[in-house]
Amino acid sequence: MTIMEPRKHGDASDGTVGGRQTRFEGNLKVTGGATYALEYPVEGLAYAILVQSTVAAGRVVKVDTGKALAAPGVLMVLTPDDDMGLLVASDWGGNRPENQPYYPLPKQVQYNGQSVVAVVAESREQAIEAAKLICITYERTAHVASFDDPAAGEGKVMDNLTSGWGDAEAALAAAPVRIEGEYRTPREYHVAMEPHGLTVKWDGDQITVWEPSQWSHGMARSYSEWFGIPYENVRLISPFIGGGFGSKGAALAHGAVAAFAARKLGRPVKLALTRPQNFINYGGRAATRQKIALGATEDGILQAIVHRGASETSTYADWPEQTGAATPILYKVENFSSQHRVVPVNTVTPGALRGPGKNPSAFGIENAIEELAYKLGMDPLELRLKNYADRDYQSGKPWSTRRLREALTEGAEAFGWSKRSHEPRSMRDGRQLIGWGIGCGTFPVIQAPSEAMIRILGNGRVEVVSGAIDMGQGTYTILAQTAAEVFGIPVDQVEVHLGDSRLPGSAIAGGSMLAGSILGAVHKAATAARDELIGLALSDEKSPLRDTGANTLTFGGGRIAVPRDQGPSLTLPELMAALGRDEIEVRRNTLPDGATPQEHHQAWTTMAKVQGPTMGEYSMHSWCAHFAEVRVDEDFGTVRVSRIVSAFDCGRLYNPRLVESQWRGGIIMGIGQALLEEGLVDLRNGRTVNNNMGDYLVPTNADVPDIQVISVGVPDYGASALGGKGVGEVGIVGVAPAIANAVFHATGKRVRDLPITLEKLI
Amino acid sequence: MTRTIHLSLDINGRRHDLDIEPRVTLLDALREHLALTGTKKGCDQGQCGACTCHVDGSRVLSCLTLAAQVEGRQITTIEGIAAENGELHPVQAAFVEHDAFQCGYCTPGQIMSAVACIREGHAGSDEEIREYMSGNLCRCGAYNSIVAAVREAAEMA
Amino acid sequence: MRDFSYLRASSADEARQAATQAGIMLLAGGTTLLDLAKCGVMEPETVVDITHLSGLGGIEVDENGARIGALAKMGQVADHAGIRAAFPAVSESLSLAASAQLRNMATIGGNLLQRTRCSYFREPDVFPACHKRNPGSGCSALGGVTRNHAVLGTSDTCIASYPGDLAIALVAFDAKVELGGRTVPVDDFFLLPGNTPERETVLERGEMITAITVPASAAAKNSTYLKVRDRQSYEFAAASAAVGLEFEADGRTVRDIRVALGGVATKPWRARGVEQALIGKVLNAETIETASRLAMEGAVSHGANHYKIELAPRVVARAILKVGGLA
Repeated sequence: MTIMEPRKHGDASDGTVGGRQTRFEGNLKVTGGATYALEYPVEGLAYAILVQSTVAAGRVVKVDTGKALAAPGVLMVLTPDDDMGLLVASDWGGNRPENQPYYPLPKQVQYNGQSVVAVVAESREQAIEAAKLICITYERTAHVASFDDPAAGEGKVMDNLTSGWGDAEAALAAAPVRIEGEYRTPREYHVAMEPHGLTVKWDGDQITVWEPSQWSHGMARSYSEWFGIPYENVRLISPFIGGGFGSKGAALAHGAVAAFAARKLGRPVKLALTRPQNFINYGGRAATRQKIALGATEDGILQAIVHRGASETSTYADWPEQTGAATPILYKVENFSSQHRVVPVNTVTPGALRGPGKNPSAFGIENAIEELAYKLGMDPLELRLKNYADRDYQSGKPWSTRRLREALTEGAEAFGWSKRSHEPRSMRDGRQLIGWGIGCGTFPVIQAPSEAMIRILGNGRVEVVSGAIDMGQGTYTILAQTAAEVFGIPVDQVEVHLGDSRLPGSAIAGGSMLAGSILGAVHKAATAARDELIGLALSDEKSPLRDTGANTLTFGGGRIAVPRDQGPSLTLPELMAALGRDEIEVRRNTLPDGATPQEHHQAWTTMAKVQGPTMGEYSMHSWCAHFAEVRVDEDFGTVRVSRIVSAFDCGRLYNPRLVESQWRGGIIMGIGQALLEEGLVDLRNGRTVNNNMGDYLVPTNADVPDIQVISVGVPDYGASALGGKGVGEVGIVGVAPAIANAVFHATGKRVRDLPITLEKLI
Repeated sequence: MTRTIHLSLDINGRRHDLDIEPRVTLLDALREHLALTGTKKGCDQGQCGACTCHVDGSRVLSCLTLAAQVEGRQITTIEGIAAENGELHPVQAAFVEHDAFQCGYCTPGQIMSAVACIREGHAGSDEEIREYMSGNLCRCGAYNSIVAAVREAAEMA
Repeated sequence: MRDFSYLRASSADEARQAATQAGIMLLAGGTTLLDLAKCGVMEPETVVDITHLSGLGGIEVDENGARIGALAKMGQVADHAGIRAAFPAVSESLSLAASAQLRNMATIGGNLLQRTRCSYFREPDVFPACHKRNPGSGCSALGGVTRNHAVLGTSDTCIASYPGDLAIALVAFDAKVELGGRTVPVDDFFLLPGNTPERETVLERGEMITAITVPASAAAKNSTYLKVRDRQSYEFAAASAAVGLEFEADGRTVRDIRVALGGVATKPWRARGVEQALIGKVLNAETIETASRLAMEGAVSHGANHYKIELAPRVVARAILKVGGLA
């Protein structure tokens, strides 16, 4: 077992892949020197503010802009009557309808809070004041505020999310032990600390966009398509991003509005969403519900799983929050049936939020499996191990690696699971009921082609150049470690340039796919650059290493040398100087050789080339097991998480220090999901009323205990070039059910709908 | 035209003169008018702590403070706590060492809050640190490391 | 927020004088005024900054009680050794409120005047109907999302809860508010919504809170503030209780008890029924539980806030157990 204890950095291994190097951009972030999107000094800025609809459905009939236009400092008001001349951009897959107009400020209102007007003024304060003076007349139509509204209907079945094998219904009916439950999760929000917004500036038909982005290339594509300008004319800059969690992967309507305003005004525009707009103007996680029925033998062998789920979507796009995503792969089962529906309601289209699909899915199956354990009178750990999936029954493929068994057993040992008392309500400390629960999680290994450039400079510094994003996961750090390892130099001799759509293309920082994807490209480029340097050093007549007779060179300790010390050694700047070179630049990508320029563009700007977890000969996933202890006040119903131990199989860890931070971050978001987070919608008008951080609660420091994280993974070279699997998403998956299971153990009450707030327990 | 007033603010030991509308908050004055963008805007409603800076040594939220209110006070921001020679403040160094941040957006506020928390004498135990650092939300979830960093910096102070 | 002028008051009299005019608002810590100005709920034409006035921020504690200047900061009062010793519930109510930063900004006077957290009150563009904001316009909360709304002291026009903590402790211990010319018990300072929810206190235009006085008592010295909420910190109360207790010489029979509730009522709520039921009684779990239920006399729920009727008596009971040495 490897328990990751923080230790002082400075070990020689820190500068290599797998070392505990501190965060590469750390000093910038602790001094206020890291510049985020809305902080770029741009001359002559105008400020835009959005006005949002106050009805859930209908049509904008009239916008009275007179008072606003007369207000001090106001430069422009944009309404649905302004034809911006934009065209709809491609979807995630790169599919694009032809010549379809795009109205970022639409006449048709599809949800309460939709942006319908924008006000631009000399200052932000003036724009905000003028926005209050806008008077909009609506023609209202009936709305559906929730998928629980009978008017919402049953929704539509997503055929691509339907799966099954064996005869689940029959096996369930025949099973001697059965449980059935309905599990629900509410609307949840990203609440990244940095609000959405952008600064945008046109120079002729060239546009520069400073905008927080999880995907500089993909978002740049949207701007080019909206405005009908060549992709090369767009530059999207995002070297630092104040949290995304899935919300900053796509360009959104407010970006189009700001860019149009800037072009029309002929001056740069800054548009920042207010915090309430960050809750309402783009999609969080959809509300979900799912019925799960499990059938088992009396000794706890699963016979059947029947799953029927649904999630809310908008009236204008289908976004499935796939409640059946984890259900088929966590346990061995010969008879399985799953179906997922989307139910259109008047909401903004939901989006990806940490652990999309897998997260609510795990809430269902991991609750259900413990319900079965209690029905059987069996230890939930034993039941999980008894039904351990030896292969992927859905795809039929073997696992690449799956150390979920080790996660369960080693996590249990670290947690002290063997001291558990099985009966609910059997552990207490005064008025505090104590409970323990387990929740397993999983997230698929996804990869996308990526490209990177390495520059060796005459001064011996090595630059890693990529359009990839660091939103706090550690991209800067692990790329620096990779280059440092390849060239045998300290990390502080490396520079990393990221977050710019003009730089080489990269996978999105999402779906836990970035590290594995971009590291492959950087490693490939760095080794190619090193090979080129070796070639020059052994062949160039000016090279002191030419006549050593060596056929290769070693890189280590900051020096380049002949193997076995049989000759001179030089530092990188010395060698570059000897070769008379200012720069060696090498660009490599992980596309198949001979890919066309069109394929390159497609690879970096769409999801079309993304490789799923079962596209090869294996089924590839990250895994985890969370062990939670809660203390429930038996009078007040308040739940506090007092202890969490989580064991992960994420393959090889490129930097355990940063990985531990991401795991803990996911777990903490899971604590919020379990106990606090819920978008509250006023059904009368479809508005989310707790649209701020004082009313939509996320965990504070005081809500979080010490969290012990353990790595049980082994390098998985089937999953990625350097052996890692995904890290960022899986951490949250399974946390909420672990806590719900612990609450049941503490109180004897099974809360099947999140969050587990006090009124559900008193 | 809206009315403006002239202010002279003492920020990080330097005098900054500016003409702004009275309704401009200290946060917007720093970020939009003085190019001191280290202080972050997270919610602009007093609910997240990202905009924390010090006024006369006391930690406050700059989003709910008018710039006009603090004329004549000493304002300290994240840009003003490292040594002149660039050496990090012990709290800053501890944040790097303990990886007490990910995206970095709440970090200046966390650090300003932590410096004050230690100075107030509210860093006596992990439990006390947690409570007195709870006005600074961190969505990346760096809380364990923040507590460790504050504890270490408090022990050194 | 709307454009306004800024004036810095050079004396309390000047501030009071200025505040006689409509459209002028006094600015202290700013944590309510600027927050609600951003929401579009408060729209001053002029703010008069009183934070630079001297002589209004003192904290004095002696054997007769405490006098706290209106401009003392919440954090200063919370950490004041004399307050902690003589009025633990007052200190705790402040420590458990808001965040350290907000407590360094918000003044005691301003804290009493903080406005409700009713979501409908705070979003005028989306929910124009609000009697508190715009008398006669209606109440959007009735029939809406009511989890945090009051169950006590409500009326047909308003169910918004009073959000503060300090005032709960103050009302329990018979504190008074000094308004310059007159002094008003805190309990009378706050008004029930009735048919005039826009009128939350007896403060008249041109008046300013200058100080708060709290008489010393054995019950205040043996007191606590218990706050229950979803989140461990930085949240308003789901239900809270300020309780103080004095025993007779036998150490079991109640001579004096004070109980006030927060998070459940439209104003700081003194639960005199609970007090009367326990005075002269021997404290035990049963008498406490029976008496605590009286705290909810007259309570009315509006759907999602029903849990408060269950929760609040339990909070009261736990707080009494604690000060009674029985927890």
